[in-house]
Amino acid sequence: MEYAIRTESLVKRYGKGFTALDGVSLQIRKGEVVGYVGPNGAGKTTTIKILTGLLKPSSGHAYVNGIDVTANPREALRTIGALIEVPGVYDYLTPREMLNYFGKVYRMSGGEIDRRIKETLELVKLSDWEHKKIGTFSTGMLRRLTIAKAILHKPDNLILDEPVLGLDPEGIRDVRELIRQFRNEGMTVFLSSHLLGEVAEVCNTVVFLNKGKVVSSDSMDRIGSTMERKVVDVKFLKPLSRDEIEKLRAIELIKSVDVNDNTARLLYDGQPDSSVQILRRLVSLNFDVVSYNVESAGLEDYYISVMGEEKGGN
Amino acid sequence: MEIARDNVRNDVFDTYLSVKFELMKYLKTRRLLIIAALAVIVPLIFYVKVPDTAGVFADNVLTFLNVLIVISAAMFAGDAVCGEFEKKTNLLSFPTPQRRSSIFAGKYIAALLATLLLVLLYYVVMTLQIAQLYGWGAIPTELGKSFLTALLFSAAAVGVVFFFSAILKRSISSTIVGFLFLMVILRVVEGILTRVNQEPWFIVTYSAGLITSVLGTSSSLLFGRGEGESTLTAFTPHFGVGIAVMVAYAIVGFAAGMAMAIRKEE
Repeated sequence: MEYAIRTESLVKRYGKGFTALDGVSLQIRKGEVVGYVGPNGAGKTTTIKILTGLLKPSSGHAYVNGIDVTANPREALRTIGALIEVPGVYDYLTPREMLNYFGKVYRMSGGEIDRRIKETLELVKLSDWEHKKIGTFSTGMLRRLTIAKAILHKPDNLILDEPVLGLDPEGIRDVRELIRQFRNEGMTVFLSSHLLGEVAEVCNTVVFLNKGKVVSSDSMDRIGSTMERKVVDVKFLKPLSRDEIEKLRAIELIKSVDVNDNTARLLYDGQPDSSVQILRRLVSLNFDVVSYNVESAGLEDYYISVMGEEKGGN
Repeated sequence: MEIARDNVRNDVFDTYLSVKFELMKYLKTRRLLIIAALAVIVPLIFYVKVPDTAGVFADNVLTFLNVLIVISAAMFAGDAVCGEFEKKTNLLSFPTPQRRSSIFAGKYIAALLATLLLVLLYYVVMTLQIAQLYGWGAIPTELGKSFLTALLFSAAAVGVVFFFSAILKRSISSTIVGFLFLMVILRVVEGILTRVNQEPWFIVTYSAGLITSVLGTSSSLLFGRGEGESTLTAFTPHFGVGIAVMVAYAIVGFAAGMAMAIRKEE
């Protein structure tokens, strides 16, 4: 199977003392949106810099669409759009001037460059700023412009390193919407972030990195089910009577019941089947169920469980 | 074979794109305008005292050209490499299908072209001045040789500053160090060697003396003490050696700068 992005035992050493990446192997399928999370200094940016040809690995290989980035960077980088950290921009140029240059670097024709500049600037909501000096842009606008540069040549793979870093809530929402759009268009997105909320919102797979090693990798669905807390929160239409509470306690799958006014917290074995059966029993017993939530721990809890209390390496 | 040819073609085109992009940046930041204005205004200052002959007038005007070339080299090449890393624009331009060598070669060529433009303008203005003051017939025939020498010194000066830009971290440092190296340090070494009666033939700023010395006027001679305490020896750069030294500085500065730039990591 050809992966969109793949790394094989990637190692990056700086000098003799510090190992930033220690045998990182990743396999990202086409169309996947993968979150790459870990504490500061875990090696996220180093991985991304190797994938985008900014750094050479000490050993191991990085492939994009099956092409070795180190051996054939020109071909590999043609299929990548990248936003790395907070890049500098050319303050004295306009978005059109800047994007026009990069369009030529990607060997796009004049007509194609014109069309894509219009399309991408519209997508990132900068159409009205096409001919304005970049130096007058806000942080959020700059970030959207660099995303426009990353997708100008319609890459198959988009690599985003901390794309919402330093943005205000509105800026974060805009970038999140863009990533959702890319996901819906079938683009492969590799998103490095330390903001777990962002990752949980847009990614379907998460890779956890710590001290230069992959410590866990799983789909968001499986992470969600792993972290179910064996608790169901049920809200009823009106406060429960003593009889109704007894009826609840009588349901064999429920281990304990904690009632508070019109809500009940039910402890069970945590199996999805059990959860379904409990709901069916509630309905068959004529309970007026307003909401039924299987409580699960968030990605943060999962993160802490796989990372432990340790901090990053540098 | 075909792949290798394709790679070369792509590298050449990427270098061309980089040159164009740099020149556009020079225009947008008005750096090119400033240097062009200097090239036009400085020769006009020499109207203050007009000598008897066109040769002496050209000599006077060209004496200041070395300084302008160094200023231009520092302005355009000072941030060529370290500026990319310092301003983090490398994070935009490097993860693209172009080699770093093409990007940096483009930057060197653009800085050189900007400096050559300064030199060209300077000579055009000076030639027009000579024609106006002494008549077209009085234009020294050696001016062409002087012009070519000025172009070579430009390549050397840009190469030297480019090298500093590749080894230093901040644009301001490489600009100042490059300028001081060419304007002060080399001239001090030149002065010391002359003082001990050694011809500083390997110093590029000494070779740059050819810009005026090819005109055959006396002001371009550098005096050092001879063997006896009271005698002075006049040094003037040998044309062939001077040209070779300037070419060497240009090639070594550019090649060493490129090697450092390509290896440079954040």
